[in-house]
Amino acid sequence: MMAMSPIDPGLQEALDGVRDPGTLPMDLREAYARLMGAANLLQTLPAVSVAARVMADIHDLKPERIRPGPRLMRWLARPRAVTLRLRPAWTLALAAGLAAILLISTQSTRSPIPGPHQGVAQFVGRFPGARSVEVVGSFNDWSRGSLHLRDENHDGIWHGAAVLPAGPHEYMFVVDGERWVPDPLAGRYVDDGFGAGGENSLLIVRPAQASLDDDATLR
Amino acid sequence: MLVLVGAPLAAQNGGGAASRLAGRVPPAALPAIDSLIAAAVAESLPSEPLVQKALEGSAKGVPTDRLVNGVRRSLLQLREARVLVGRVMPDQQAPEAHVAAVSAALARGLAPAIVERLLTVAPNEPPGPVLHAAADLVAHRFNPDSAADLLVEAHNKGLHGMRLLDVAVAADHELQRAGGRTHADALARVRALLPNVPTAEVPPAVTRRRTKGS
Repeated sequence: MMAMSPIDPGLQEALDGVRDPGTLPMDLREAYARLMGAANLLQTLPAVSVAARVMADIHDLKPERIRPGPRLMRWLARPRAVTLRLRPAWTLALAAGLAAILLISTQSTRSPIPGPHQGVAQFVGRFPGARSVEVVGSFNDWSRGSLHLRDENHDGIWHGAAVLPAGPHEYMFVVDGERWVPDPLAGRYVDDGFGAGGENSLLIVRPAQASLDDDATLR
Repeated sequence: MLVLVGAPLAAQNGGGAASRLAGRVPPAALPAIDSLIAAAVAESLPSEPLVQKALEGSAKGVPTDRLVNGVRRSLLQLREARVLVGRVMPDQQAPEAHVAAVSAALARGLAPAIVERLLTVAPNEPPGPVLHAAADLVAHRFNPDSAADLLVEAHNKGLHGMRLLDVAVAADHELQRAGGRTHADALARVRALLPNVPTAEVPPAVTRRRTKGS
């Protein structure tokens, strides 16, 4: 820090009014005159605050005229700080929700794709009041529990689909786990061979990917 | 929801019938069924139709005697089928797939003479589709010989495999057209279309959600 020079005691006495300035040496008289001039000048200036002066300067500034296009581009390009305050509990819940939505949307569009020797079989049956309907046949070794039909609308129309090997398959519906019923919409039936007049439904699954041979015959 | 159901694993692997039947076939029926399956294997007949028949009857709760008779009847049909295939392919061992397909056609009530005629047209092609097409036509009361004529002509005009099923579907559609056609008229109409019969729609491999009213 710069040291302040001590004021001469005679000059100090003159400034304090206890000594006649005319008795000061020449150089001190000049210093006295400059200091008194400065003091008089400060007393005559109006009292204007710093804030008022800054506001006055702002008012004096003329706004820069920028066309809307460049102004938008400048607004978009200008980096901005964004502060996001999240509670950990809400953050985890939000992440779980997003994951669930993603999973559901992925699963709803993902279906088994039939291979070259497979096709899609669709099953529909009207069983009002049924609690369960499943399809049992040669494609699942006549075992229960692998192909359940659904009735989401509760209108008695049960439906489902399965990818099966291409070719013939005998099957039946099992309603409520105990009643064996041929598919009324199958169109093909075959004697089940057990001597009581029972019939199986017969489904012939076509390969989902039609052969070039088949296409050529259409031309 | 679309479910993937493959061929039974044991069947794919040619796996043992005994392990597939154990626990599912009533113990009282098991020895007789085992011996029928063993006979089929010894005669180089396909055993899978017998296994399937045993599993089917057991799942349905068919009484033991009828269950065994059902499997025995299947074995007899396989033997008859092998004879028919042997007549058409005298110089080679009857392929198991041919025997199984012919047996299934006999089970659907197709006359052996019709089966043999259709086998003769293309002995080296898988016979399942043409036999099922003929059985479909007969099931819809078309004359069996006329139905066989139509299928032979369709084959000669270039239709093979599953496309022969389209011929039967087209004949049935012609029969159901407004105004009413006789069976002979319907066959004549389809014959005029050959080989350009409409192709049956294959269900798409997507899940479609039903809505009320749809």
